[in-house]
Amino acid sequence: MTGPSATLALTDLTKVFRIKTGAFSHAELRAVDEVSVSITPGRTLAVVGESGSGKTTLARLILRLIDPTGGSIRLEGADITRMKGAALEDMRGRMQIVFQDPYDSLSPWQTVGRTVAEPLILHENMSKQDAGDRVSAMLERVGLSPEHARRYPHELSGGQAQRVGIARAMITNPALVVLDEPTSSLDMSVQSQILLLLQSLQEERNISYLFISHDLTVVRYIAHDLAVMYLGKVVESGPAAEVFSSPRHPYTEALLKAAPRPDPHYKTDQVHLLGEQPSALDRAPGCPLYGRCPISEDVCADTPQELVETDPGHRVACWKRT
Amino acid sequence: MSAILELRGLEVEIEGLPILRGVDLEVRPGEILGVVGETGAGKSMTARAILDLLPAAATVSFEECTFGGTDFIPPRARQLARGHQIGFVPQRPRGSLNPVFRVGKQIVDTLRRLRGMARTQAREEALNLLRSVRITDPERVYRSYPHELSGGMCQRVCIAIALAGEPELIIADEPTTGLDVTIQAEILKLLGEVIAEHNAAGMLITHDLGVVADVCDRVAVMYAGRVINLGTTVEIYREALHPYANQLVSIAGSLDSGGTPQEIPGRVPNPGDELVACAFAPRCFRAEDDCYGEEPPLVHIGGQMAFCHHPLTSEAVSV
Repeated sequence: MTGPSATLALTDLTKVFRIKTGAFSHAELRAVDEVSVSITPGRTLAVVGESGSGKTTLARLILRLIDPTGGSIRLEGADITRMKGAALEDMRGRMQIVFQDPYDSLSPWQTVGRTVAEPLILHENMSKQDAGDRVSAMLERVGLSPEHARRYPHELSGGQAQRVGIARAMITNPALVVLDEPTSSLDMSVQSQILLLLQSLQEERNISYLFISHDLTVVRYIAHDLAVMYLGKVVESGPAAEVFSSPRHPYTEALLKAAPRPDPHYKTDQVHLLGEQPSALDRAPGCPLYGRCPISEDVCADTPQELVETDPGHRVACWKRT
Repeated sequence: MSAILELRGLEVEIEGLPILRGVDLEVRPGEILGVVGETGAGKSMTARAILDLLPAAATVSFEECTFGGTDFIPPRARQLARGHQIGFVPQRPRGSLNPVFRVGKQIVDTLRRLRGMARTQAREEALNLLRSVRITDPERVYRSYPHELSGGMCQRVCIAIALAGEPELIIADEPTTGLDVTIQAEILKLLGEVIAEHNAAGMLITHDLGVVADVCDRVAVMYAGRVINLGTTVEIYREALHPYANQLVSIAGSLDSGGTPQEIPGRVPNPGDELVACAFAPRCFRAEDDCYGEEPPLVHIGGQMAFCHHPLTSEAVSV
């Protein structure tokens, strides 16, 4: 998956948080643990996993909102892992994000026009006047009218507010857009409108998407590639269609079987994982799923599992399934 | 089969804004009825009207409302049933438990109030209830505070509390929203099982068509304060009469199969928006002049009912 042509390439990206557990003691939380994935232009990599799996920390690392503990991030070939100051500011126009809650992510004091123009003013040193035409064109492209530029966020519906969030992300022509649960707070009929918009923008501009979601129905529709995370680790990755049709890791299997589908003849399966996801703090040194896994053996407790390629592009971190 | 809960023409107005504009539905013994719809359709308001939990500013009126054969129109009747004949499972389990009391005390208090049990007897019954919601270490959970439990565990506790009054109907309002997929599957399975074990019926409010397909026997689809289509789950997912229900299901289905979803133009109306005779007409691909001018008629086909001038009957679909 990694190559010079990738928009985004992560190598062993790691983020460790130090959590204070007492006056003189602390514990380490490996929120993102040696993650290596890449995205080529025009493709969508979906990162799925349950709460606490490290999806959002991964997104924040990629956008350089927090500093990684180890590993590297390359955006369009440039190493941005330790980039700082003006150089980093220049890169920010190439990577943008669309947030989950469309209202929370728009400033209530700024008009839509001002919000969408801001990236141009910041990253392309445009004046407010010059930005106007680009803003109008962008608003029309995302299905709003230029008149919306004068409105405030509270005057918009949820779907319209998310279109503004998309316009703001797309206006600098980024190479990579991180979509953090962009449709999960929207109604079903509006959800499909936003997904169709995201898809047509991708085809038109050859953008790479990192799509973070827990909604497997949406992922099934939009993703080209899939990475499944559990307690900070990627446990399985590969072409989305293949992972959906023949999951190999026991966690992926449980996740897919537990997800309800809109078909009355399809019944979700008995979830065969034991208990609930433990805290990332008291994780065994071996496989993160050890203790919940129905097929685990004693060796799983302390033998770290590496991703191994089983089919072209399809990688699994489980010695029993490779 | 006579219904356990029957509602006709439920209307709710809050500060002059019509929230529910004539809700008709019935829950039959032993079944789980799914109530689906988008934001503002009136799903939760319907549940709150049944439990008499609407805000003080609300005015409520029914044409008909019976529960187990008794008249349910007087607010007092609905208040008395709350907790007793009707159990309620909330959307945010941790927020619905009292953070300063141990879980055990909260169940015991409920049992003492609802069933007049003595303290020791209530303690035994509380542990039994925790066991009945498949909690493997009831003693520990009994002694825990809500913040010491996971979201899924808190929801099991809430289900145990809903069962405390030995209800005939359990209303669950988005019981798995905010829970992880694997936990969601366990909670839904548990709900289905305890409803069957207690010979009760269920009403499951959700916006997730996957959840409905998984656990519900029949589905009521709401739009702008009305149930616009009701039928068995298979009927609604295969051949919904109402164009809105039909498109909603087909969007979910095509996303699921990786196909391109149909687009429903426009957006869901807000309470207070000016509505035409059929509230969905401005977004409907089958709408004609009569949809704007005349109230849509009630259509019965098979086990389905729908309010629509131009329902998608099989011969119409083939056109």
